Amino acid sequence: MNNIKIKSKNLNVYYGDKQALFDVNLDLNEKEVTALIGPSGCGKSTFIRCINRMNDVIDICKVTGNIEMDGMNINDKDLDVVSLRERVGMVFQKPNPFPKSIYDNISYGPKIHGKGETKSELDQIVENSLKKSALWEEVKDRLDEPGTSLSGGQQQRLCIARAISVNPEVILMDEPCSALDPIATAKIEELIDELKKTYTIVIVTHSMAQAVRVSQKTGFFHLGKLIEVGNTEKIFKNPDNKMTQDYITGRFG
Amino acid sequence: MNIVLIFLITIFSVSLFFYGRSKTKSISIEKNIRLNALPKFYGYYLVLWCSIPALVFLLVWSLFEPVIIKSIIIETAANQGAIFNDKNEANLIYEKIKAIHLGTYFGDIDSILKESALAYAKFINLFTNSKVVLIFGIIIASVIYSLKKIKNNNKARDDVEVILKGLLFVSSLIAILTTLGIIFSLLFESIKFFSVINIFDYLFGTNWSPQRAFVRDASSITVAELEELKDAFGFIPLIAGTSFIAFIAMLVAVPIGLFSGIYMAEYASIKVRRISKPIIEILAGIPTVVYGFFAALTVGPFFRQVGENFGLTVSSESALAAGLIMGIMIIPYVSSLSDDVINSVPQSLRDGSYAVGATKSETIKQVVIPAALPGIIGSVLLAVSRAIGETMIVVMAAGLAANLTINPLESTTTITTQIVMILVGDQEFDSPKTQSAFALGLTLFIATLILNYIAQRAVKKYREKYD
Repeated sequence: MNNIKIKSKNLNVYYGDKQALFDVNLDLNEKEVTALIGPSGCGKSTFIRCINRMNDVIDICKVTGNIEMDGMNINDKDLDVVSLRERVGMVFQKPNPFPKSIYDNISYGPKIHGKGETKSELDQIVENSLKKSALWEEVKDRLDEPGTSLSGGQQQRLCIARAISVNPEVILMDEPCSALDPIATAKIEELIDELKKTYTIVIVTHSMAQAVRVSQKTGFFHLGKLIEVGNTEKIFKNPDNKMTQDYITGRFG
Repeated sequence: MNIVLIFLITIFSVSLFFYGRSKTKSISIEKNIRLNALPKFYGYYLVLWCSIPALVFLLVWSLFEPVIIKSIIIETAANQGAIFNDKNEANLIYEKIKAIHLGTYFGDIDSILKESALAYAKFINLFTNSKVVLIFGIIIASVIYSLKKIKNNNKARDDVEVILKGLLFVSSLIAILTTLGIIFSLLFESIKFFSVINIFDYLFGTNWSPQRAFVRDASSITVAELEELKDAFGFIPLIAGTSFIAFIAMLVAVPIGLFSGIYMAEYASIKVRRISKPIIEILAGIPTVVYGFFAALTVGPFFRQVGENFGLTVSSESALAAGLIMGIMIIPYVSSLSDDVINSVPQSLRDGSYAVGATKSETIKQVVIPAALPGIIGSVLLAVSRAIGETMIVVMAAGLAANLTINPLESTTTITTQIVMILVGDQEFDSPKTQSAFALGLTLFIATLILNYIAQRAVKKYREKYD
C-alpha cells in the first residue's frame, strides 16, 4: 500500500445555492491511479477541480471542509494557487492546446515558472515531456507547427505533455478520452499506465472498462455523494453498495 | 397621382391575399384534393403577382416620363419658333413652360411660351391617363394569369420562393450598382482633373494651395497659367497630415481601448460590465461636431496654455488636440470589439493555462490575446479607417493650412478637411480646384481600400495559423 497523497475530509462544494458535493471523504494514494465513476452531474469533476483549486475560476463556487496534499491545506485562503497548480497538473475533457506551436505549448509552463533558464534546458524539458507522453516520435520534426494541427488523440497527448512539463506530483484527468476514438484512447491508457510510476493520477471516466483497465482504486459518486470507494477489483467484482452494483452493471446512469 | 396608384395597388394586393387564401381553401374542401402548398402561400402568390409588375412599371414610367416630355416640349417650342443656342437655354425655356403650367411664372408670356405651355398641359394629361390605363391593364393581366395558376393548384410555395429570391437579388444588386456608380463618378471627375494637372505633380507635390486655381474653366487654361498651377496641387502634405493625425489618434485609442476591453472581458464583474460598457459606448454616440468644438474650444486652448508655461509655441489649432480627441472618440470601437473578441476565446484555453499554474495576467498576455489577435487587429484597422475618414474634428481643431510638418503642436490638415474646404460655398464645377476634391476622394477611397485589403490578409493569415 502506497502513502496517502491527498486526503479530503467533509468536503462540501456549492455553486450558488446549489450544493454539488456533500461531505466527501476520499484518500488518494501516491503513485497510483484512482478512477472516479458515476453518472453525469454527480460531482466527480467538481471533486478533482477542488484538488487544483480550478473552482476558483467560477465566481459563484464555494468550497468548505478540508482537503490536504502532503499535510498542506489546499483550501487555505492564503495558499499560493499558482504553486499549487504547478504541483497538481490537469488534463481536460476536450483537448485544448493553445493556439501556439507544439514547442511553445509545452515550454509555456516551464517558462512561467522560471524552469529552463537557457534554450537548451528548455529544449530538454520539451523533449522529455513529449517522450513521456509518447508523442516525441510523431512530432519531433515539426515542433514549430501549431498544436492545433495535430489529430485529436495527438492533441490530448500534447496536453498531457503540457501538464507534465512543469514536473507536477499529481495529474488530474477529467474524462481525457471522451472526445477520442478507440485507438487514441488505447494509447492514452497505455500512457497512464506508464505515468503512474512517477505521478499520482486521478481520472474521471464514464467508461467502466477504462476504470478497470487503468485504475487501482475506484470511487463511485452519486448525486454529489461518495457512495463507495475501494480497490478497483473489489468495486467491480463485489461492491458493498447496491447502488454501485446497479451502476456498474448498467442498470442506471 | 403616384401615391394614389400605390395605395390602390396595396389595397388590391391585400384583398387578393384574403381572396386567394379562402379560395384555395374552399377548392381543396370542395374537390377534396390535397393542396401543393398552404393556403396562405396562394395568397402571397397573388399579392406578389398583383403588386410587383405594376410597381416596377410605375417606377420605370416615373423615371422616363419627365425625360420624354421634356424632349417633346423642347421640340414643339422650337417648332413654334423659340430660339435657343445650347442645352442650358433650352432647359431654361422648358423650366419657364413648366412654371407657366403650374401658374408660378410671373415674367412676360409671349405667344410661343403660351402655346408651348398648352402643349405641355396636353402631354401631361395624356401621359397620366395612359399611365393609369396601362397600370390597371398590367394588374388585370397579371392577376388573371396568377388566378389561373392557382386554380391549377400550382406549387405556390416554390413559386413564392423563386419570386422572393429575385427580390433579394435585386436588393443586393442595387447596393452593388450604387457603389459602382459612386466609384465611376469619382473616377470620371478625377480624370478631368488629371487632364489638367499631371498625376505625378499631384502625387508627389509637396505644396497644397488649391485657392490659386480659382481661374476660368479648365478647357481654356493657358500654358502660362498651367505652369503656375503645376505645384498648387501637391498631395504629400495632405496624406502626411492625415496619417499623422490618425497616428496620434491610434496612440490614444489602441492602448486605452484594448486595455479597457481586456478589463471588461476578463476582470470586470457582470455588474460592473453591465453598467460601464454602455457608458463607454456612449462615446461613440456623441456627434463628431461636439467633439470638434470640445477639441477646438477646450483642449486646443488648454494645450496652448500648458505650452506657454513650458515656453513652447503651441498653435491654438494643433494636430495634437485633434488627434487626441479623435483618439478618445474611437476608443469604443477598439474596446467594444476587442471585448467581444476576447469574450469569444474559449474558456477551455484559459483553463489549460491556469492548470499549468499561470496567473490571470500571464494567461491573458500569452494565451488569450494571441488567440484573439485576428479580431483585435480587425478592430484596430476599423478604428484606423474611422480615424482617416473623420472630418469634423480636424476641420475645427487642427486647422485648414496644409503644413508639411511632424510637429504635433503645429496646425495641419487632412484629406477630408480639404475636400470640405474645397466644396463649401459657391463653386465653378469645371475649375481644377473643384475637381481636385474628386481626385482627393478617389485617393482616399483607394487608400482605405488598400488598408482594408491588408487588414483582411492579416486576419486571414493569423486565422490559418491558429485554426
